Amino acid sequence: MSDYIQVCDVEKYYGNASNVTKAIDRVSFTVSKGEFMGIMGASGSGKTTLLNMLSTIDQVTAGHIWYGDTDIAEMKENDLARFRKANLGFVFQDYNLLDTLTIEENIILAMALRKEKKKEIQRKCDEILKLLGIEDVRNQFPYQVSGGQKQRCACARALVNRPRLILADEPTGALDSRSAQTLLETFTDMNQKLKATILMVTHDAFSASYCSRILFLKDGRIFHELLRGSKNRREFLNEILDVLALTGGEVSDAR
Amino acid sequence: MLGKLAFRNVRRSARDYLVYFITMTFVTALMFAFNSLIFTRDLEEMFGLAGIMIALVGLATFFIVLIVAWLINYMVRFMLEKRSQEFGIYLLIGMEKKEVARLYIRENALLGTGAFFSGMALGFLLQQVIMAILYSMIQIKYDIHMEFNGSCILMTAGCYGGCYLLALLRSNRRFRKMNIRDLMEAQKKNEEIKESHEQLKKWFFPVSLLFLAVFAVFIFFGGIRDAGHILFFLVGIVLVIYLFYTGLSSWLVCYVRKKGNGIFRGENLFLFRQFSSKLKTMSFTMGTLTALFAIAFMGCTVALMFSDYQNKLLETKFPFDVQINSDDVEDDFADEIEVIEEEAQVLNAVRYYIYADIPAKNQEESERANQVNVWLSTHLKTFGNMYLKKDGSPDLKKLEKDLADGGFYCRYDTYMKVSDYNDLRRMLGLSEVQLKKHEYIIHIKERIRKEVESMTDDIAIEGEEGELKFAGYYTESFSQDGHNGGDYVIVVPDSAISSLTPYYAELAVDIKGEAPAGLGKKLDELAEPDDEEYEEETDEDFGGHKQMAGNICCGSDTIVVMALTNMVRDNLIPETKYLLSALIFPCFYIGLVFLCVALTVLSVHQLSDSAKYRFRYSVLKNLGMTRREIGRVIFRQLAGYYLCPVFLACVIGGSVSVFMSGKFIFYTGIHSAVIYYFGLTFLLFFGIYGLYFITTYVSFRRNVEAYF
Repeated sequence: MSDYIQVCDVEKYYGNASNVTKAIDRVSFTVSKGEFMGIMGASGSGKTTLLNMLSTIDQVTAGHIWYGDTDIAEMKENDLARFRKANLGFVFQDYNLLDTLTIEENIILAMALRKEKKKEIQRKCDEILKLLGIEDVRNQFPYQVSGGQKQRCACARALVNRPRLILADEPTGALDSRSAQTLLETFTDMNQKLKATILMVTHDAFSASYCSRILFLKDGRIFHELLRGSKNRREFLNEILDVLALTGGEVSDAR
Repeated sequence: MLGKLAFRNVRRSARDYLVYFITMTFVTALMFAFNSLIFTRDLEEMFGLAGIMIALVGLATFFIVLIVAWLINYMVRFMLEKRSQEFGIYLLIGMEKKEVARLYIRENALLGTGAFFSGMALGFLLQQVIMAILYSMIQIKYDIHMEFNGSCILMTAGCYGGCYLLALLRSNRRFRKMNIRDLMEAQKKNEEIKESHEQLKKWFFPVSLLFLAVFAVFIFFGGIRDAGHILFFLVGIVLVIYLFYTGLSSWLVCYVRKKGNGIFRGENLFLFRQFSSKLKTMSFTMGTLTALFAIAFMGCTVALMFSDYQNKLLETKFPFDVQINSDDVEDDFADEIEVIEEEAQVLNAVRYYIYADIPAKNQEESERANQVNVWLSTHLKTFGNMYLKKDGSPDLKKLEKDLADGGFYCRYDTYMKVSDYNDLRRMLGLSEVQLKKHEYIIHIKERIRKEVESMTDDIAIEGEEGELKFAGYYTESFSQDGHNGGDYVIVVPDSAISSLTPYYAELAVDIKGEAPAGLGKKLDELAEPDDEEYEEETDEDFGGHKQMAGNICCGSDTIVVMALTNMVRDNLIPETKYLLSALIFPCFYIGLVFLCVALTVLSVHQLSDSAKYRFRYSVLKNLGMTRREIGRVIFRQLAGYYLCPVFLACVIGGSVSVFMSGKFIFYTGIHSAVIYYFGLTFLLFFGIYGLYFITTYVSFRRNVEAYF
């Protein structure tokens, strides 16, 4: 398995025998190391389901998901937890920060859970806080800072353990446009400077335009793929908008 | 439609607040069962003392109603806050405030009525258990029978309904003031963590601990002597109870801020923060819970103390089947013996005198007449410095004044002939004592035996031919609460008695089998009708000298004192036990209810938090914690949350309990370790505590894991 992450014929069904909903229908793709990949699609297209399976939160009905040589579809729950701790970082729309901890402590906890040394934790924490520009608010509680800062804290937490893959589910969903832009630039920085591999789920074309590759999902299947290549962001955005116009963004509009 | 909605909501609430529902059921059951003690007619007929039980159970009920009212009020408010968003939605879709309030009241009324009726069902069961315990305590056979006492049910319903009504009226006011926005927002209110002056506030923690240590030291070494001290410590304890949590929370916050080594280990950081923020928002509630726990501790300890007294000491207080005393030395007890013979078969009856070392004729009394009394009043710890002058010499005047008409000791020392003494020992099945002509012995209460080691060096007992030699102490139980002396009696050879004067007359009777109930009453009645005549008689001379002064005493026992002219063992033991039950039962009652109320608040809080903060655990899960690890975090979090108020209550309740037990053991002379009562309370406590903890832990995990 030379590819970094490989998704093979993954299927996810909901419901019972008489009434099956195919949330994901035979989806296959690969993610290379250092890639910033986006998954787009309308509501109900299965993008969050796909992300959940990649993030080990949900189990596949059929198929395999390879992280290097490890097939997470075959793993037991406790192994999955350990795998998550070692390999994955999360950034969610609703930040998922612990409201009882300060910004800095949220990051410390993630490392403390991996039983790292105090000095190491402190060093990495300072570094990442500076890198993401949230040094000033390190001692504030989540409710005291802006949405953008919260989301950058979530990024820092996801990033600090240098995971194999960072999974982001609509990270800009709750942000104003300015904060969203800052965050996406942070993502780009993370991707380019720290060589972080990022998989971002979004339905917002502007957000998607920061990615290097985009998969378009529709009714649980991949129906299109876009590569940014050497195009600048504006061109890429137009291309994305074209694809969306083709499908209408929403299924109803496409008819 | 509203009715249906209310019913559905109740079903849901009952599941969410199962612990509350069960506690309310249990409290109703307890209330009903204990109230039935007030209204039971059998007991009222049996004992003249039933009034005490009524008064004490009534008093306990009063406090319990207060605390249950607090619980209901707290829960009603709590549920209101938790469900405010839902109520906001009701308003949003066009329900009127009045309707929403009515819906909420209806729901609570339904929940309350449900708990009340299931509580009554349980109450009838519990009533049987309590009655069975009480009757077996007072040694009367109890036939299980349902007692449907209207006034008892009415009283329970009244107490319970009153609590509810108050709480609901208050919530009604709350409703009127709220607007939709507030309702929708109310749920998010707790989440802001305000940290200010933490550095300052953290000092509350060590200061509280220091105060507790000082308190414990003071209480153990008897440093609390006057009202000033008591007031100081009482105010201090109340402050500590409330400031401790603020301090602890701030101390934790400071520790986390300082980045102590502990926070870099595993999930500690999460736990510290979780705990400190919880303490911060709930320090007042936690303080109240601590107070409840401490009171529960103390209530149970007192109950256990008296029940231990009942089991161990009571029997020894009445060694003779019947014992009668008369301050008229010429009394031949003919009437009494006649009454006893009518009721039971007399095996043996001994009539004897207790003597005093006072001259037969009106002469100057010697200094030796009360040497033992003086020695005891100035040396026993019980009396402390009461009869000591500032220079350390005995305050004879004060003693004489206090004992003039009898008191804990008679006016003069009490003596007894060795032949009488041996007669009595035979009656008790004890071996006889051989006393040589120039010897004397002292029969003394075991309780003070250790304190009188050096007494015999300081006293001199004159015999026929000079001073008598001390030949030892005897400590078997010997009815020394005013019958065979108070605390002690000096036993001298028969030959030495000629110089002494009969002081009062005694009759000890051994009867076959058990004495019939009511014998004591009949004996008492003998003296009562001619009371006035009797009074007059006392002025006349006995045997050529004046009436014996101060020949009534009761010994230096405190806490439980029984000084009676006529003692019929088989009548007195059940009566005393009933009397003690009047203390024991309400103490247990208070202890149990307070404990359950406090635990309910703790667990309901945690459970509703588990629903509210599920996402915190899902974040931990995302961070890569396994199910088992999360289970451990929950366990540690709950344990900390549950143990904290218990720890503080243990220190406070424990110090006070051990102090009380020490005093109790000291004053009653019971053979138990000081820690015994507290230890038992502790076990009982942790039994109930464990139940609540497990229930909470299991539901908490279920709530959290349902989300994964």
